[in-house]
Amino acid sequence: MTAVRTETEVAPAASVPSSGRSKRFRLNHWDAKYTPYLIVAPFFVVFAIFGLYPLVYTAWVSLHDWQLIDGNQGFVGVDNYVRLFADANFWNALFNTISLFVLSTVPQLLAALGLAALLDRGLRGRAFWRAGVLLPNVISVAAVALVFAQFFGRDFGIVNFLLGLVGIDPVDWRAETWASHLAVSTMVMWRWTGYNALLYLAAMQSVPKDMYESATLDGASRWRMFWSITVPSIRPTILFTVVTSTIGGLQLFAEPALFDPGFAANNSTGGSDRQFQTLVLYMYEKGFRLFDAGYAATVAWMLFLVVVLVAIVNFSLTRRIAGKG
Amino acid sequence: MSRSLVGSVAATLVMVLAAGCGGSSGADGKVELSLGLFSDFGYDKLIEEYMASHPNIKIEQRKVKMEQHNTQLATQLAGGRGAADIVALEEGVVSQFRASKDKFVNLAEYGAKDLKDQWAGWKWNQGTADGGEFVLGLGTDMGSLGLCYRRDLFEAAGLPTDRKEVAKLWPSWADYAKVADQFTARTPNVKFVDTGRNVYKAILDQTEEGYFAKDDSYIAEKNDKVKTAFDTAAALGTKGQTGALEPFSQEWNVALKQGSFATTTCPAWALALIKAGAGDAAAGKWDVTTAPGGGGNWGGSFLAIPKQSKHPKEAYELAKWLTAPEQQKRIFKETGNLPSQPKVYQDAEVQATVNEYFNKAPVGQIFATSAESLKPTYRGTKDSKVGPVFGTALTRVEQGKQSAAEAWAQALKEAQDAAK
Repeated sequence: MTAVRTETEVAPAASVPSSGRSKRFRLNHWDAKYTPYLIVAPFFVVFAIFGLYPLVYTAWVSLHDWQLIDGNQGFVGVDNYVRLFADANFWNALFNTISLFVLSTVPQLLAALGLAALLDRGLRGRAFWRAGVLLPNVISVAAVALVFAQFFGRDFGIVNFLLGLVGIDPVDWRAETWASHLAVSTMVMWRWTGYNALLYLAAMQSVPKDMYESATLDGASRWRMFWSITVPSIRPTILFTVVTSTIGGLQLFAEPALFDPGFAANNSTGGSDRQFQTLVLYMYEKGFRLFDAGYAATVAWMLFLVVVLVAIVNFSLTRRIAGKG
Repeated sequence: MSRSLVGSVAATLVMVLAAGCGGSSGADGKVELSLGLFSDFGYDKLIEEYMASHPNIKIEQRKVKMEQHNTQLATQLAGGRGAADIVALEEGVVSQFRASKDKFVNLAEYGAKDLKDQWAGWKWNQGTADGGEFVLGLGTDMGSLGLCYRRDLFEAAGLPTDRKEVAKLWPSWADYAKVADQFTARTPNVKFVDTGRNVYKAILDQTEEGYFAKDDSYIAEKNDKVKTAFDTAAALGTKGQTGALEPFSQEWNVALKQGSFATTTCPAWALALIKAGAGDAAAGKWDVTTAPGGGGNWGGSFLAIPKQSKHPKEAYELAKWLTAPEQQKRIFKETGNLPSQPKVYQDAEVQATVNEYFNKAPVGQIFATSAESLKPTYRGTKDSKVGPVFGTALTRVEQGKQSAAEAWAQALKEAQDAAK
């Protein structure tokens, strides 16, 4: 790189005399200018094929009466969108998605922050604890869902058994909206808290130690140091996790799907009265059970817009909050 | 150096793109056939034999869960590639796929119409379209209806345990509900039946027209039989006599193991599921008897060939062989899947079959008798979309979230949307 740059700098004087040298210079010049693009190109090519193209194609499908097997049945314009806005099940799914997202993400990120702060202190067997928190994330989501679905079983579940010990009546976890949201959120938190904690931990380790030292000299408490030094210092990482959790949380599918015993019998509506049907589950129901691909594409596009919107809101919110410290 | 870098990036890209498209022809010149199945069709041994007697053919079985199978098949048909050469279509969804029959080979082109007399008339009709001109699939098994009950739990409730006596308790579903009341009065802590949904489905499977009339028009709201079936099942739910379980789910398995319900509807194929769920500890405790209300059919499948198959001729020969009477009889003996061919289920050997696990119940005779008397339900094109709506409605009743009337009203509304 440096060699290229020096040659570019001397180029004006040297380029005139020999044509051979100028050719080589031009090649080098071209090289310096375009190689970086070429190196990043594969990402964009792959993104265009697997990201952009499906996105545009989905928009195209959503403007048609499109059956999964039989394909295009004719252009209908924005009919699907009009139907969607009048569809109570869509709004219910949107509510569930946002409720599940808030219930799982907020406690999850706060817990991750606390966990990271603990791991950042000199614990014995540090590597063990650090690897341990990532474990839930490594286990397949199907396995996690299977185990949690049994924990939250109505008749023979452990959670109800424990509640029974303190005199609380058994809860029908799949029948009540709030209970089902709580159960599904627990699953999400279990899977992602450790992962986010490790991201925070990595960021915390790069916070200069002398800041803590001077704060200690000033007599600041640990609590104060955490909120006034640690959190503002790892702001970029917090922003990153908020955005990724937003995207992941709003696209929630596997956890609620596997929590619903009806999913295996192909009549999943996310609960008997759509208690925990998320937008992606609704899309799945429409597209793959009822074969209405056009409508499913419409749901997919609305979900995309919701994700973009919420991500922007969250990004600016967290930037402001984290900026105060 | 930079040029080689550019070259290698380009080469990597080409490789990445090329990896997406694999070849499919057999390396050793053999015809490769694939079978797309779900659960257990009992084909393992048969396929080995077929390959031994047809050295130029190589067969691969792909087994997935039924739900996955149906969605996968739908996307493969839509995409025009990826489907197996022979695919299984379950009775509940066959009408849905029949609506897209141009994606399938008309088996009549290979002479399937000559085989017609092998099957019960109704089974043959379910697998055909255009008044029998288009043969979509060849029938495999059927789900002739019985009723399973726990002998020990019946005894504890002071009810008879002998299967003939039990059958006499419930000639009709109304009688079945009365037995439920007696049972609950004596042993209130045990549920009489696993789920109202299966009771509902069983009653409906005993009628000739359910949600759709035979001309495929939607009639659920004016068909008294649908309402009666719903009310009968909902009443059990309201009285807390059902376990409110999702049929065949994990919790259903646990409940089987715990012995927390005393009866369940039993299509022939369900015996294997009950045995698997209840385990060896419950051997001899379960028994099978005649279902209230006579014969009915729930489930059973067809073998069809997607048009995208590269070897439809060879695939047809294999499907024909697998569904032939001799093979059907062997499958019944090995797995208990009831053949949909009268000659097979009337066969003396089949009739004499008993199931050790179910207290040596003469399952061959019970299911064959039920098969003889059954009135198959007409499945509308949108049956598989409408049906689940009523199932979830019954779950709402069982969960105590809605009254039977509220659940019924909501189900009708949703069903109307689904039937559009």
